[in-house]
Amino acid sequence: MSNNAVVSQPAEPPQSLPRKTAGTGYALMLALLVIAVFVPQFVDSPSHQNIAILILMAAQMGVAWNIVGGYAGQVSLGQAAFYGIGAYTSTLLFAQFGLNPWLAMIAGGGVAALISIVIGWSCFRLKGHYFAMATIAVAEIIQIVFTNWEFAGGAVGLTIPMDQQGWDVFVFASKVPYYYIALGLLVLTLLANLMIERSYFGYYFRAIKDEPDAARSLGVNLRKYKLIAFAVSSFFTALGGSFYAQKELYIDPASVLGTGLSIKMALVSILGGIGTLSGPVLGAGILTLIDEGTRALFGGTGRGTDLIIYAALIIVVAVYYPNGVIGWFKSWMARRQAVQSQVARGEHQ
Amino acid sequence: MSEILVQTLVSGLLIGLIYALVAIGLTMIFGVMDIINFSHGEFLMFGMYSSFWMFSLYALDPMFTLPLTALFLFGLGVVVYKLVISKITNAPMVSQIFTTFGLMLLFRGIAQFLWKPDFRTIEKSMVSGHFSLAGIQVGTPQLTAGVGAILVTVGVYLFITKTRLGAALEATAADKEAARLMGIDSQKMFALAWGIGAACAGVAGGLLSTFFPIFPDVGANFILIAFVVVNLGGFGSIVGALVAGILVGVIEVMGGFLLGPQYKLAIVLVLFLAVLMFRPQGLMGKA
Amino acid sequence: MSVKTMCIRLVQAGAAMAISVSAYAQQEIRIGVLYPLTGAAASSGAEMKSALELAVDIINNGAKSVPGLPFSAGGGLPNLKGAKIKLVFADHQGNPQVGATEAERLITQEKVVALVGSYSSNVTVTSSQVAERYKIPFVNPESSSASLTQRNFKWFFRTTAHDDLFVQNFFEFFKELEARKGVKVKKLAAFNENTLWGNETTKLEVKLAAEKGYDLAKTISYPAKGTQLTSEVQLLKAAAPQVVMQSSYLGDAIMAMKTYKELGFSPDMILANNAGFTDTEFIRTLGKDADYVITRDVWALDLAKNNPLIKQVNDLFFERNKINFTGNSSRTFTGLMTLADAINRAGSTEPEAIRKALTETDIPGNKIIMPWKGIKFDDKGQNMYGSGILVQIIDGKYHTVWPFELATREVVWPMPKWDQRK
Repeated sequence: MSNNAVVSQPAEPPQSLPRKTAGTGYALMLALLVIAVFVPQFVDSPSHQNIAILILMAAQMGVAWNIVGGYAGQVSLGQAAFYGIGAYTSTLLFAQFGLNPWLAMIAGGGVAALISIVIGWSCFRLKGHYFAMATIAVAEIIQIVFTNWEFAGGAVGLTIPMDQQGWDVFVFASKVPYYYIALGLLVLTLLANLMIERSYFGYYFRAIKDEPDAARSLGVNLRKYKLIAFAVSSFFTALGGSFYAQKELYIDPASVLGTGLSIKMALVSILGGIGTLSGPVLGAGILTLIDEGTRALFGGTGRGTDLIIYAALIIVVAVYYPNGVIGWFKSWMARRQAVQSQVARGEHQ
Repeated sequence: MSEILVQTLVSGLLIGLIYALVAIGLTMIFGVMDIINFSHGEFLMFGMYSSFWMFSLYALDPMFTLPLTALFLFGLGVVVYKLVISKITNAPMVSQIFTTFGLMLLFRGIAQFLWKPDFRTIEKSMVSGHFSLAGIQVGTPQLTAGVGAILVTVGVYLFITKTRLGAALEATAADKEAARLMGIDSQKMFALAWGIGAACAGVAGGLLSTFFPIFPDVGANFILIAFVVVNLGGFGSIVGALVAGILVGVIEVMGGFLLGPQYKLAIVLVLFLAVLMFRPQGLMGKA
Repeated sequence: MSVKTMCIRLVQAGAAMAISVSAYAQQEIRIGVLYPLTGAAASSGAEMKSALELAVDIINNGAKSVPGLPFSAGGGLPNLKGAKIKLVFADHQGNPQVGATEAERLITQEKVVALVGSYSSNVTVTSSQVAERYKIPFVNPESSSASLTQRNFKWFFRTTAHDDLFVQNFFEFFKELEARKGVKVKKLAAFNENTLWGNETTKLEVKLAAEKGYDLAKTISYPAKGTQLTSEVQLLKAAAPQVVMQSSYLGDAIMAMKTYKELGFSPDMILANNAGFTDTEFIRTLGKDADYVITRDVWALDLAKNNPLIKQVNDLFFERNKINFTGNSSRTFTGLMTLADAINRAGSTEPEAIRKALTETDIPGNKIIMPWKGIKFDDKGQNMYGSGILVQIIDGKYHTVWPFELATREVVWPMPKWDQRK
């Protein structure tokens, strides 16, 4: 039983795919983003705009999770800790000390990144399941600390006043500014992800994930790169948390530090395709629409029907599409190309 | 003061035995097939409901219906394995985690759909009541549950070490490929592990049902602790789960008493992390 | 069309299908309802949902057995040509973000004219913010967190009294108890669960005990959703208070009582703060062991001797659900009746007209099923006439024991020790 098989390799190693599909992936991503810019022009219902924002938020946290969970192969199930740290840091600085919320948001990211280095330093000696469990425990401890910390509002939580609105206070009446800020955050996180994927980091991470022993013997400092991935991921996760606080104007330990949220971050990635750039974005779209759709249609019955449908869909995807939607798409493309090239060479099966 | 400490110790021991019983099923599944089962708390929940319904519909005492509950949960475990888990035995860890996480939500939804979200309780059982022993108070249901936990642990341990089937299970856990070459059908072994794992959780549920409220989300109260116990005892170690369960129970109750109840879970988790750092394989796990 | 817009269209279409059946029916007043229908508080949510369904059934179809209740003639709201009320239920799962999302959906997609909800105080915070933003009246029948009506909201109305008053009641009771029975209460303990509600209660108890010169020997905040309460009860036992003031939801309330008995902890009184202690399941589970506990409440069946409406409406509720009203469901019922009264006086479904009518609400006590002087909101949206009562469980039933002028039974004090009970 190897603990290294944390993330399976797709049936076809990616580098054997023609460049075309990689290019197609980026093109698709770009097209999606361009379309996303115009969504508020077509969708005028605030409630639907809100769902669009929820998708962007889920995508952003998924992409951030993917940096550590997908590329560096460290399955963290405690990233909500950093989401919450971001939300709490920025809210305390903004609502209590009057710091500009945009700066407070970046400060939140910085604090989260620092804390993640401390946590990562101690947890990265653990492999596979042990690491996943440790992250759950750390996140739970952090939630307990915030619940009992009077300065941070304790179990009562913190409220952001809504009497002032505008870009300077990062509070808006309309959904549209929130939409564009969420989109901006997503693009930033995607860029960070892309840089990591395209740089030598990415090669190291793939090496760590696929051949840790070989990577170690080549002198790759595993821990250093895992830590960097963890810190970058936590930084962006925290930005997402600050955004949540500014959007909902109220945070409490249960809503920004819960294990359910940690799971959701990872789930979004896995649904779409772990270790890919656009996977979490697709996953976020699918998951959020299922979630909101089932609740809107069945939530009022009070029978748990929405929960059943939601859960059944998660199971189906996890069982039948272990590499996510993107993985399924890639293998389908690969199969098609194989057939085409055979036809071109005049071979028959 | 010392009496209070002894009392606290005894209470911690009793709840710890329950933790151990819940964790044994979990560690069984993990040890044999390397899967973390997030829906384990829901097996416990089904065990509780099974006891509850047999009590409220047919007035059967939870103590008498324990074997039935165990059988029913064994069946459920096997069915879950056949329908879902068998398809992900070789899937990456993340898909496995999310499959069982999905099962957790599904089971909670089903329980609510079938039985409403109400809290239910078994108000009278043959083991209701409590007695005092040299000034120490002991609840009879808790004591029964504790004794039950020990018996089940011993039973499972003997099964693994003394029977051919148990040996086959052990062989599969140790090395799937080698076991296959020896003619052991690993699919059957996995199904067996899920059956036994679910049955252990079911028995824990049946024992708990005499003194714990029953509701669709009840598994949430136990799952985190069960994970900690499994980890602490060492993934796959039955004896380890028993020792770790008792340890966690005592530390939780004692820690809550000495350092403040709001931190009782945090104390357990910090200790757990400390053990992970210095002995990742747990107290009795194989390195 | 991108995948995203396509998906949104799909959801739109689905939602449209779901509501088109009723959306264009004339003469219908759509009221949004936000409660926890799944998750930890789902059982309370289900009871409150039943209470709302009864209220709407009475308004729309009438109920001959309750002639004293407004709108019991049926046939909808008279000032709106007999328009019927339609409830649109949503589930907030106990999650503040989901609450806000659902509130927005109810307002913008389901076109509700007012919202009722949300039980859980932390969800009421976020969902009422959305209503405030959209200028839609929000009637909150049962969240008791004091800070909710300290936000200077214009569209938020709370019919129940809040924790400030309830905790105040505890101390008034101690004082009057001494005058009436010569019982001196000095040493207290606060034993509350550690979420928003329990946490605010703890702060109030600490503050008031200090102000009024009581010795608060021990303050315990315990994490909700645990598996045992042994350490907590041991700490209480060591502190040996006369009275334990306790705030717990159902599961913890049951677990605490069992642990008290098991460890032989017998204070003079358990003075509970509603919630778990007034849940239908509490007495059924504990049987005799629930006896003698005193809990704060807002409603009790035996108050019917002062107000016949209480029993008449409860009979209807019992007929439908096989359970009596509780402090929660009766308040929810009252919240909706208050909203219906305002919409009717407004004579319109315009949110601003409804809000204005709500501010002018003045319902006398004999027209509601609560033991209150009535319903009239102050400028913060808080009902000024709400009040609490204390009930004691004796022989498996709740009996009003305070305020003494409403009492149906003399209070039993102290509660007998566990080993001296029959």
